[in-house]
Amino acid sequence: MTSTSAAPSPAFTFSASTFQKLHPAEYFRKFISQGVRPDGRLLTGFRPTTVHYGVISTANGSAMVRVGGTTVVCGVKAEVAEPRLDSPDQGYLVPNVDLSPICSSAFRPGPPSEQAQVTSDAIDRVLKESKVLDLKDLCIEEGKAVWSLWIDVVCVSYDGNIYDAALASVMAALANVRIRKPTYDEGIVKVSGAQELDDDNSFKLNLNRTPLSASFVLFDTSLELLADPNFAEESICEGQISVTVDEEGQICALSKVGGGSSSPSILKECVDRAKERSKDLRALMQQQ
Amino acid sequence: MTSVADAVVPGQRLGHIQEYTAGPGTYSHQDFLYASVVGLKHVSRTSASELPVMTVHRENSQSAMPGMEAIVICKVVRVNPRFAAVNIMVVNGIPCSDDFQGVIRVQDVRATEKDKVKIYNSFRPGDIVRAQVISLGDARSYFLSTAANELGVIFGTSVAGGSLVPISWQEMQCTKTKAIELRKCAKPM
Amino acid sequence: MDRKRVPGPELSVAPLVEYPVDHKRWTPYGETRHDAKRQPEDMRPIYLKTGLINQANGSAYIELEKTKLACGVYGPRPIKRTGQGFSGKGVLNCEIKFATFSCAKRRSNMRDPQEKELSLIVTQALTPAVRLELLPKSAIDVYITVLESDGWGSCLSAAITCASAALAHAGIEMLDLVAGCSASYISNVPESSSSSTSGSSSIPPQIYMDADLEEEKYEQGAIVLAYMPSLNEVTHVLQSGKAESTTISQSVEHCVEACNKIYAVMHHALLESINESKNNSL
Repeated sequence: MTSTSAAPSPAFTFSASTFQKLHPAEYFRKFISQGVRPDGRLLTGFRPTTVHYGVISTANGSAMVRVGGTTVVCGVKAEVAEPRLDSPDQGYLVPNVDLSPICSSAFRPGPPSEQAQVTSDAIDRVLKESKVLDLKDLCIEEGKAVWSLWIDVVCVSYDGNIYDAALASVMAALANVRIRKPTYDEGIVKVSGAQELDDDNSFKLNLNRTPLSASFVLFDTSLELLADPNFAEESICEGQISVTVDEEGQICALSKVGGGSSSPSILKECVDRAKERSKDLRALMQQQ
Repeated sequence: MTSVADAVVPGQRLGHIQEYTAGPGTYSHQDFLYASVVGLKHVSRTSASELPVMTVHRENSQSAMPGMEAIVICKVVRVNPRFAAVNIMVVNGIPCSDDFQGVIRVQDVRATEKDKVKIYNSFRPGDIVRAQVISLGDARSYFLSTAANELGVIFGTSVAGGSLVPISWQEMQCTKTKAIELRKCAKPM
Repeated sequence: MDRKRVPGPELSVAPLVEYPVDHKRWTPYGETRHDAKRQPEDMRPIYLKTGLINQANGSAYIELEKTKLACGVYGPRPIKRTGQGFSGKGVLNCEIKFATFSCAKRRSNMRDPQEKELSLIVTQALTPAVRLELLPKSAIDVYITVLESDGWGSCLSAAITCASAALAHAGIEMLDLVAGCSASYISNVPESSSSSTSGSSSIPPQIYMDADLEEEKYEQGAIVLAYMPSLNEVTHVLQSGKAESTTISQSVEHCVEACNKIYAVMHHALLESINESKNNSL
């Protein structure tokens, strides 16, 4: 029986999958020391990404985004609501991410998990604080009625990096939104039920900017930077850095969560790589 | 050797029960043999006098689940004087997607001098143990045994944080401090 | 108030839709079905694919034109709820969830009674086919997400078909695949004219296979059948609304016939997954 050189303990031999289950970090370290990741990517590599628009016909706008094994579907539904008293001419943007038990055994049925809340909140902040959409565009009748855009992201398959996938799907779905032009008549908002939607009877959203993000994790004390982590990588790495940039390369949001200290130079590297990634992603989204 | 014609799905009729014996992945219903999993069918003949055995090899194997006499690898999560509670992580070499719970009771730690066994001198939380399923147990836990030479602790971490190396069947040494700790060790295979 | 989600306005409603005067709605009294393509006995084309959720033990995605569902199977895994005592059999637990944007009206995030009812029906339809006696003290969790729904009956039958394919893909031992199929009873005569002529209730309604949402609005009754095609056994049947027994037996026959067609699609999808995994391993 052969002895494994790395383990100081005696000659127990296992299959690779058993070793990964028992010592996930050790398994991973062996790959990283060779400069590759278990799924064959380089450390800087992002997973193949696809974007499909208009996949849900019951929604005003929708998109499906796949990043490797992560699949999310975003649907936007426009409904009529009363505006807030302090902002009588502004509509609502309500983004929520649902990590339901279908997408991974890590999630259980019930109220949103902590991770779902954090992701929803991060997207909410990016949409509002970087003024993606002028909320006045959503006004129907000042002080009486505005559009409320319910932006719901359903994760169908979870394999890490939900923030990048969810944000891309939200932006794609918003770009896909078409709302029938409303008429306000004594407290009732009506839209025409004509068959075909065209520029005369409906409008599209005027998006000021399209923020897209790139996430990285820091592995181990060596602080190796891994782009676009999958589920296994997320569960063994502690620190995660997400950089959100718009089409002009301006940073809309930057977050670093979890343990593992990082130097300013690492952050700078993340920003540079995120700019490149968002450029690629943007080109991909505009192809269709 | 394999062709698409050999690929079957659950419910597909494979033959008459007078022609074949039902093997894994198949079942008999009334006079016929049917597949119960998606996979490739395979007929093996053991002897001329017996009926050949029809089996279906799963294409996508079912998530691992402890069965009687299965060899499992588990991690100790809790100990008390009566038993060590473990999470079963690997069954017969196949990792479980979700850990099952098990216990190693004090009388199942070793085969001889059972009355002298102390759980504290056999397992510590965090140890990786190879064990065998001896009973499906109660509602919650499977009952496991380490009463054989090749069963017991296979990986452990010492108090000082170094990894442990077995030096006898009941002692392990820390690679950092050379301190000796007591364990029910598995004989390296 | 739900503090775990980003809050929106407390009350929001869909706008009132006003149809132009010259707008023509589809009715069953004309020549064609709603999509103007199908015959009454035709189903919509089915697209079924297994293995899209890589964290799940088994998964499937089904599409019948606008009806779109995804299903993930987890297990066998330990039963989470304790205190039930030792069980020599496994437990099959199905949960169906509608995405908020899946219907014409936005659905709430809360689990509603309709989801509970559908979950129960799917569980009942699939349990007879799964060999739970081989899985002591374990649970199999089947999660179904409806991404888009176009009719109640077709959604339920698609859920059964999709979940059964996902279970087979998870390598769980089953007696047979289960195919689900729905049919609606729709009268071809407008109600006003039938009420004026007495005795017109003897005209049997037309049986529309796999009705969509627009057609369901006119239905007098509906049937959803779950069927094991190779064993020729029905696992679940749900009949609602008013219908003569001849209509029901006729619709059961139609559904069984349709289930055999669905079985061919499931068979094909599962064999395709074998070929794919073979290619990947090379």
